[in-house]
Amino acid sequence: MTLTEALQVLLLGITLGGVYALMASGLTLVFGVMRIVNIAHASLMIVAAYISFQAFKLYDLDPILSIFITIPVMFLFGAGLYKLLFARLPSDARFGELTVLLTFSLALIVEGVLGYFFTNTYRSSNPSYATDAISFDTLYLPRGQFYATLISVGLILLLWAFLQFTRTGNAIRATMQNPTAAQVVGVNVERMSMIAFGLGTGLGGAAGAMMSFLFTFYPGKHWEWVAILLSLIVLGGMGSLLGALVGSFVLTISAAYVSYFFGPTWSPLTFFLALFVILLVRPQGMFGKKMEAA
Amino acid sequence: MLLELENVMAGYGSGPNILKGLSLRVEQGQIHCIIGPNGAGKSTLLKVICGLLRPREGTLVFKGEAIDGLRTDQVLKKGISFVPQDRSLFPDMTVKENLRMGGYILKDRGRVEARIEKIVEMFPILKERSSQQAKTLSGGEQQMLATGRALVLEPELIMLDEPSMGLAPKIAQQIFESIEQLNDEGMTIILVEQNARKGLECASWGHVLDLGTHRFEGPADTILNDPRIQELYLGKRRQNHQEGQA
Repeated sequence: MTLTEALQVLLLGITLGGVYALMASGLTLVFGVMRIVNIAHASLMIVAAYISFQAFKLYDLDPILSIFITIPVMFLFGAGLYKLLFARLPSDARFGELTVLLTFSLALIVEGVLGYFFTNTYRSSNPSYATDAISFDTLYLPRGQFYATLISVGLILLLWAFLQFTRTGNAIRATMQNPTAAQVVGVNVERMSMIAFGLGTGLGGAAGAMMSFLFTFYPGKHWEWVAILLSLIVLGGMGSLLGALVGSFVLTISAAYVSYFFGPTWSPLTFFLALFVILLVRPQGMFGKKMEAA
Repeated sequence: MLLELENVMAGYGSGPNILKGLSLRVEQGQIHCIIGPNGAGKSTLLKVICGLLRPREGTLVFKGEAIDGLRTDQVLKKGISFVPQDRSLFPDMTVKENLRMGGYILKDRGRVEARIEKIVEMFPILKERSSQQAKTLSGGEQQMLATGRALVLEPELIMLDEPSMGLAPKIAQQIFESIEQLNDEGMTIILVEQNARKGLECASWGHVLDLGTHRFEGPADTILNDPRIQELYLGKRRQNHQEGQA
């Protein structure tokens, strides 16, 4: 491996990292606020990918611009799902088991409905930048990946600023850190949970739009994705936004090198191997907190 | 009467009643100390008053208005603040941010900042630690922060659940002194204490809870010396245990 090759692989890894981080940030936000591991997260991303794909096919709408549709649509969809499925659960003693089963079945339903409408054909949008590259000297940047990662990181920064500087954002952070304390100061925890679930799904909506031109997808594809996303947020520390960001970049860069040395079939192994190692060595992840025994 | 509870029944989820027809009156300007053995329903009572737990039956009247069934934010607006048992702070937020969260329901940020200024005067250590994360504070400092946070709304009634728990005697003493100071300023206080002796010494009125009911009450110094209590709730073993704690 020459230095140029090493740099090239690094670039490819970095330009994927942002998109993975965007995908993972929604999942980790929902977990952080509600302690729900949303197994349906990736299936909702696929919904957004289809929206973006159809908008491109039918109306020639740029997939990147389609985030202005997919984010609000998925936000409302997520908030509605929360109201319908999860709002009553927190008082239940078997909350953990229930949410896993519920989100698992939700993923199956979403997959089934998508399969009914869109068949199981592999899809991918092909805007001009999807196959184009920016080259400088001996290195190149795939244009689509580059744009997608820039926008993803931008969205994550927006989310961070929202959580840090707005009243609602502070209330969401308070709920993440201590739901009882949040209630005691007058935060309507159920409302914050709904907003957080909406935001998480909305971020998934943006990620789906990116996915529509970066990767091929079909209704059942979400299983692969959710497995990868779970490994990312476990590595970073469940519920930690910074963790999702750093975890994503670490793993996509590692996967890029694995792919270079051992071939692309081995790159997904990186994620699951990392999952094993982190669970053995530091189960709370890089930026996670040890969970108190409930 | 500032607060009146009538025949309150409450429990968690689909579980049994923890409070079994409890009635209690809280008089303005007093420190009421609630004691009783584990499982008597002391913490549950406070949760019902502040709206964290909905009563199944019974009425709660605060300043002539029914408050049962209100959400916690609505109860806060009526003038009741609550400091839960585990001190319930936001561990990754700074001391200042925790105090600001105390004024979450107020739109007037200026008023919140002014209140915080007063509170850190009362607990100077909080000013010193202002930009430190709450999780780095000692037990006593955490209790001060939790109390300070509850004071941001200038409540008429403040409820403290076991404020001395896990604190060194000297620190616990400081906490009790600050409770008395708040009372001197006109605030009504409900204090739940495992350390019954200390709690009653600080209070003006004592209540004894047992098995979800209000067994009896009286002036704090009378309760403290009541032989029934000595036997029932401050039994020899218990007393030793508590003195060990204190």
